[in-house]
Amino acid sequence: MIHVLIVCSWGMSTSLLVESMLTAAQESKYELTVEALSAGEYAAKVETCDIVLIAPQIRHLRKSIEQLAASVEKPVAMIEPFHYATMNGQAVVEQVQHLLATPRKGKM
Amino acid sequence: MNNRVNEGKNQTTIIERSSELFERYLVPPLGLLASNVYLQAIRDAFIIFTLPLIIAGSLFLVIANPPIPALQAFLQPYQEAILVPFQLSFGLMALFLAFGVAYSLAQYRRTEPVQPGILAMVLFLVASMPVRNLATMPLGEVLPYLGGQGLLVAILMGILATEVMRRFRGSRFTIRMPKSVPPNVTRAFEALVPTLLLLTIVWSLEWFISIHTYVAADHITHQLTLPILLMTVFQPLVVVQDSYPAALLEIILMMLLWSVGIHGMNVVTAIAAPFWFTTLAANATGGHGIVTEPFFHIFAHLGGSGATWPLVIYMLRSKSTQLRTVGKVALGPAIFNINEPVTFGVPMVLNPIMMLPFVFVPVVIVTINYAVFALHWVHIPIVMQPFTVPVGVSGFLATGGDIKGSILQFFDIAVSALLYYPFFKAWERVLVAREVAAPTRVEGGRVLATV
Repeated sequence: MIHVLIVCSWGMSTSLLVESMLTAAQESKYELTVEALSAGEYAAKVETCDIVLIAPQIRHLRKSIEQLAASVEKPVAMIEPFHYATMNGQAVVEQVQHLLATPRKGKM
Repeated sequence: MNNRVNEGKNQTTIIERSSELFERYLVPPLGLLASNVYLQAIRDAFIIFTLPLIIAGSLFLVIANPPIPALQAFLQPYQEAILVPFQLSFGLMALFLAFGVAYSLAQYRRTEPVQPGILAMVLFLVASMPVRNLATMPLGEVLPYLGGQGLLVAILMGILATEVMRRFRGSRFTIRMPKSVPPNVTRAFEALVPTLLLLTIVWSLEWFISIHTYVAADHITHQLTLPILLMTVFQPLVVVQDSYPAALLEIILMMLLWSVGIHGMNVVTAIAAPFWFTTLAANATGGHGIVTEPFFHIFAHLGGSGATWPLVIYMLRSKSTQLRTVGKVALGPAIFNINEPVTFGVPMVLNPIMMLPFVFVPVVIVTINYAVFALHWVHIPIVMQPFTVPVGVSGFLATGGDIKGSILQFFDIAVSALLYYPFFKAWERVLVAREVAAPTRVEGGRVLATV
């Protein structure tokens, strides 16, 4: 079971993306749990996840989010704005699979 | 056909180049402001900890002052009783804000959050009560300063509690326990030294302040307290914030941030929320302040930040595949004032054509609304709601049941529809030209390749 954290602002719009990701994962029989949270909650919970995704509207926090993820050796990436806009859960799930499959060379 | 393709390419490079310029020069300073950890903690504290109380409490306020005269007459004898839940939720928002600020900041600092939260509440209470025999003090004397008038003190105590406690944790100035003691017990003792220290400091300060007295509007001499002292400093700022230039500045900052893809409402809330809620609390007790949270969330951001409701309708019937795809996804969220699909899908962000109306349309709407409220044409917003309440309903509720509130919202949407139209058409032409140059494959409503 892969646990994904999506760091966003108020979690309103991201909850729509989470729905779409879960549906897409279920269709392809990929075991996935997704949690959308604010940057503060993320800092408290980063250890519990397998991978961190950043919603486009908080990309100004990208550097600090990435540093924290790197310090506990979790892979981290931005969500493609257009995928976010169209609530394309499948594309984001593919991004997750791709990130987890790529061996990380050192830290970010 | 060839001409059209070339035109599309040229426009694309100009658009890409200006996006790069914005990205390089506009994003870093705005991002810096937005990523300040104290501002983020204050914003989280308002949204997560006090908003539910403010919303629930303001419903009792409406029941106590119903918009229908007959009902009002009927409920009159019970008004004081109905106001009790309002006074102890909405009315105590600063107390809970103190907890929220300390808790959220501790999360950002990656340290245990509950103990600083509790400490912040205690410090806030000590700072708000005059030092005297509390058993004979009427509650009404301090109540306003535990709510709308105490927000600044609450924020300061929240930050103080977390920052001090976190420095004591693991330092040598703390009570150590043998390894066999369970971690929860250890943590309680760890908190003891900073709690005693801060309690002593804040109480001493408060004692010194409450030696001094002032004469209130009711000609009775009261002891001074920290919140009263800070409010005399803070009040001019509240007055300045509740003005048209301030509203203009706030909406421009919000939309500039959104134009580069940063959550503008989020950032401005962090700075302005103490003012908005001080004004809103004053409105709840008969004030006439205009620039509050609902002024923006309910009356300006119709269908989401930037008043983008009309764009969704335009997109559904667009000639561009990209816009039609986005429009379908954007319709549902727009009903609940969520517009990330619009912002990142049209996109509005870093788009030189759409950025102009994206900032300008809300500015016009804020101007209209400010004038309407200033002229008393529509009842001032007094009720706090989640921003997801649909347009039409939210305008009625926010004004405590004034149907003209809904009418104003629809009028604003019509203005937005008119002003966005030429820009939308221009951007649609660019996209259609691009789509002709490089056809987009769409399968099952999903865009597989976009250029």
